[in-house]
Amino acid sequence: MKNDRSFTEELSSRQMLELDACTQCGECLKHCPVQDVTGNPSVSPPEKIRMFREFIRKTDGLKAKLFGSTEVDRKLLDDFTKAVYECTTCGACGQNCPVGIFTQRLWPTLRKEMVKRGLGPIGVQANLPKVVKNSGNPYEKPAADRYRPWFPEHVAVAAKADIAYYAGCTGAYEAHPMVRGDALVLGAINEPFTMLPPEDEVCCGFPLFITGQHDLLKELVDRLVEGYRARGVKTLVCSCPCCVNIMSRDWPALYGRELPFTIQHITQYVSHALREGRLKITKELNESVIYHDPCYLSRGVGVIEEPREVLRSIPGVTVLEFERHGLNSRCCGSGGAARKVYHENAIKMGRQTIDEAVAKKADRLILSCPACYAKVNEAMQGHDRQIRITDIMELVSGLIEEGKRDR
Amino acid sequence: MGTIIIIAVYGVYAAFWIRFFLHTLAWWRGRAEDMVAVLPKRPPLLKTWALTLRDVVLFWRLLKVNPALWFGEYLFHLTFLLVALRHLRYFLDPVPLWVWDLQLSGLIAGYVLPFSLVYIIAVRFFSEREKYSSTANVLLLALILAISSIGVLMHAFFKPNLVDVKYFALGLLSLAPAPLPTGVLFPLHLVLVLVLVALVPSHIVTAPLVMLEARRRELGLPQVMHEK
Repeated sequence: MKNDRSFTEELSSRQMLELDACTQCGECLKHCPVQDVTGNPSVSPPEKIRMFREFIRKTDGLKAKLFGSTEVDRKLLDDFTKAVYECTTCGACGQNCPVGIFTQRLWPTLRKEMVKRGLGPIGVQANLPKVVKNSGNPYEKPAADRYRPWFPEHVAVAAKADIAYYAGCTGAYEAHPMVRGDALVLGAINEPFTMLPPEDEVCCGFPLFITGQHDLLKELVDRLVEGYRARGVKTLVCSCPCCVNIMSRDWPALYGRELPFTIQHITQYVSHALREGRLKITKELNESVIYHDPCYLSRGVGVIEEPREVLRSIPGVTVLEFERHGLNSRCCGSGGAARKVYHENAIKMGRQTIDEAVAKKADRLILSCPACYAKVNEAMQGHDRQIRITDIMELVSGLIEEGKRDR
Repeated sequence: MGTIIIIAVYGVYAAFWIRFFLHTLAWWRGRAEDMVAVLPKRPPLLKTWALTLRDVVLFWRLLKVNPALWFGEYLFHLTFLLVALRHLRYFLDPVPLWVWDLQLSGLIAGYVLPFSLVYIIAVRFFSEREKYSSTANVLLLALILAISSIGVLMHAFFKPNLVDVKYFALGLLSLAPAPLPTGVLFPLHLVLVLVLVALVPSHIVTAPLVMLEARRRELGLPQVMHEK
């Protein structure tokens, strides 16, 4: 493939430095969930960086500058594209990188370059822009079904309020118990909250961002931010870590200025309400639960303590930890939109999470991400080890005063 | 032969700086906007720099993820530095006192250096946990092992004429090259060093900068969702 386009087009100066700084030591492979299930170093982080450096040399090296860019081997480009899309973008490699490369951000950027070259994304991911444009969500589901199947009838939604709840597409269409739990808990906290009408609560942009397809992003972000601004929102609450991540990290850049509201993960909002006594968990639960940190919540935006605070506030509960937790958590397999294409990898990773939870003798595996929730539940089908999987707000909603919950 | 090596020295030296210049241009040219969360305030400067200094000087991040490899890498980099400083006596006239003071530790480091490399290679190849080795890395390790082993041989058994070596080094610096010292090992040592300079990875310059950025990012993480 002849290269008139530089491979550095989509990279920032920081990322150019990062590509150069990789020492190829291979330490990251021990923390890579894709390596755990494939054992294939050719799709590993240092190999991806090595390949991309080759590409840059072809378009920006001394030889290219003096005599013009040379062809990049098509097979190498295809191998790279496969490797960068097989990644779950969980960022564990960067967290354990002896140099500190911000890989959770680097891989999506390299994907964007592949999209610009017409090589990415892979499989069904390629339909995302069209699907999101037409239906407002990546699942091509009607807006009328966004809230109806799960939203509790007795929970009131205000037309305008300081607090807004964004359900997110994966929760709304694929993880009903989770978003129903969110709504029940929000309803039990004595503070009005608002929501956008289902046809206006469009995709947050994360699936497009993570697959490197950025064209629609600004339009989606502007639409959502303006919608919440019109409702006088001061705090936007969301339970999906991927949504929360793009909202807090990228929405300001896409919107072009500071957001008119702050973003909170639902565990932050609920732990605050528990501390202030606005929400009380009255029922006991004599169980050992193990909490899985979603990559984009822990490593992504640093929300680690609040989910544990919520769980510890449940009378009778013992909170167990995975070997790898907090900033060092292991991906459950659903990250980076890879689950849609590399389904088998995702199932194996999900089963590793289940196996460890069972080995730790947990009664329940607690999740706080709709993608994790959908995929780990799927991974448990047909698996020889079984554990009860519950979303954190699904759990809390079942333990608060019934009068408050069903008010 | 001597003339060819002298020309190669200047060629490699020039190529090193051209390469460095091109890399700097490439870093500078990174044109995309950095879509990383805009933090309300920068993390504390002193803390950021102090932690980065620890990361750079002690290889702290490597220590956290692989203490066994850290031991070898730290020993290698430390002994390499001491050996390089010890070699300054050939390039400086008069030789500063601090370079004289480092001679003994540099000498000991010269003997330890090959063993540290053998240790690293052993950890990388024989540890079941190590899954990846790049060809470039292995070549580099083998090259430095060869250079350091020849250095040890020259010190212990086949001593070159050190006066000739110093004349040669000073001649190179003053652009008035003296004849290449006779023997086999010294020219071989020098040629391998030239290959090393040509292959030296640019991460020796960029890694500290990335470590600084990583510390900034880590210290700023609480601000993304907590401290607004």
